[in-house]
Amino acid sequence: MTQSDHAYDVPADAPVFECDYCGRPFARERWLALHHGLDHPNELDDDEVTAFRKAHEDEEDSLGAFRLQALGALVAIYFVLLMIYALV
Amino acid sequence: MAVGSLCWLLAVGTASAHGGSLAAGGRESLTIPTWLFLSTGGAAVGASFLLASFVTDRSFVERVHAWGTPLVDGEARIPRVLGRAIGVAGLAAVVVVGFFGPTTPRTNLAILLVWVGWWAGLAMTTYLVGNSWRVLNPLSTIALALPSLDRTYPDRLGAWPSVVGLLALVWLEVVSPLADDARLLATAVVGYSVLTLAGSVVFGRETWFSEADPVDRVFRYYGRVAPVSRAEDGSLRLRLPGMTLSTPRLVDGADEVAFVVALLWVTTYDGLVTTPAWRALTTPLVSAGLPPHLLYPFALLAGFGLFLGVYRLAVRVSTRTAETYLAPDELAERFAPPLLAIAAGYHFAHYLGYFLFLAPALGTATLAPFADPAAVPVYQLPDWFGGVALAAVILGHLVAIWVAHAAAFDLFPSRLQAIRSQYPFVAVMVFYTMTSLWVVSRPEVPLPHL
Ligand SMILES: [Zn+2]
Repeated sequence: MTQSDHAYDVPADAPVFECDYCGRPFARERWLALHHGLDHPNELDDDEVTAFRKAHEDEEDSLGAFRLQALGALVAIYFVLLMIYALV
Repeated sequence: MAVGSLCWLLAVGTASAHGGSLAAGGRESLTIPTWLFLSTGGAAVGASFLLASFVTDRSFVERVHAWGTPLVDGEARIPRVLGRAIGVAGLAAVVVVGFFGPTTPRTNLAILLVWVGWWAGLAMTTYLVGNSWRVLNPLSTIALALPSLDRTYPDRLGAWPSVVGLLALVWLEVVSPLADDARLLATAVVGYSVLTLAGSVVFGRETWFSEADPVDRVFRYYGRVAPVSRAEDGSLRLRLPGMTLSTPRLVDGADEVAFVVALLWVTTYDGLVTTPAWRALTTPLVSAGLPPHLLYPFALLAGFGLFLGVYRLAVRVSTRTAETYLAPDELAERFAPPLLAIAAGYHFAHYLGYFLFLAPALGTATLAPFADPAAVPVYQLPDWFGGVALAAVILGHLVAIWVAHAAAFDLFPSRLQAIRSQYPFVAVMVFYTMTSLWVVSRPEVPLPHL
């Protein structure tokens, strides 16, 4: 993935973390670390590998929290529909 | 709507042909109030997004999308020549029988071949199996024999002529009696052929059919939903249905995004104008003096503008929910192809019953094109058939949700960011589902005011 593959639209006063390998800008440092590991796995130095591992673990944690919320939403949809069908 | 009016005509013409209109079948199966039916459909789409978001294993998503097996290596010559011959013979039949055949719509081969065989049947095989129009397209075959001036096609035009062409064709299909009047249909086919061949002579065959021709683009885009696709080298490949839609650069530029949205909109519009609600809504407008001939194109353009506006708004919101610095146009291009699965699902819902109902009539007319039998065989659809239409609408959305999920995973480094990028698109899909389900569940009435 190189810079020329995509068009970007970076707001003037926004925080920017740019990839040293392909120039792609990200809004969060953690996303840059993830991008490094996903798109440039063979070019990274040790620090970047460590940063990727850390970001990946954090991502797993937040995905776990998201799954709980999603499950809650699913159960809510199910019961709301169930109740409506029971009443109608 | 031309196709609908043919249905209507047959329904009136044959004693117990209530199954002719798919919408009527859909309505009979409804035993719950409409608002609940629509909310359930919308909830099903929302719930499937939540379920898809549980699949967060990147390598699994990639494996599902990369799975494929080669079918035939290289271009096979004999099927290609045969396919082209069939296509040209079909065009010849439409023109000859259209001008000289019987004038009853349900016995005229030209009408049955165009609407039942081609626009319903062939289009269905295109997204269910693969795009054979590429080979069958008779105009493309005839263009091979014509000289070319090879003028440069203006780049800035891009796919816009095909967007305008698609809207114009659907407008013509809706307002004119193209499904009742074989002579008129043959005239329209000749007119379209002359225009298309002129275009391909001026700009070159390849350029014309890949850029400006709306029909070729419709079939090409539907073909991307299909399991059988063609690789760069011409070999055929089998993939899971819809998986090709997550490929980057499948849709390139605002013009091609507009075409995808136009395709989605015209299938909806086609059904919308035959609902009783449309009649009720437009009757006061027409009696207040609005000319019906302006009403239909205006509604077509306004609806297209609305669908496109809603999609572009979703893209804007998505750049914010995903906190990405990718330009909105990038997202618009990447998340447009999944909409093709929705359009295909809706087309299937709209035309399967119509196709099955009239397929025996098409068979009879093919065997004896100039006979004008008094009784035409039709296939009576079973009562549960309306459920198939509803299932097709929902299934199209499920494929779209999954494909957009995969495309988002490919586009964003953070999986949570990818899931968040989909919130506005899911909202839009819920809106589309509810609209389509509503249209499919309405009884079909003849086109008002024309
Ligand atoms: Zn990079």
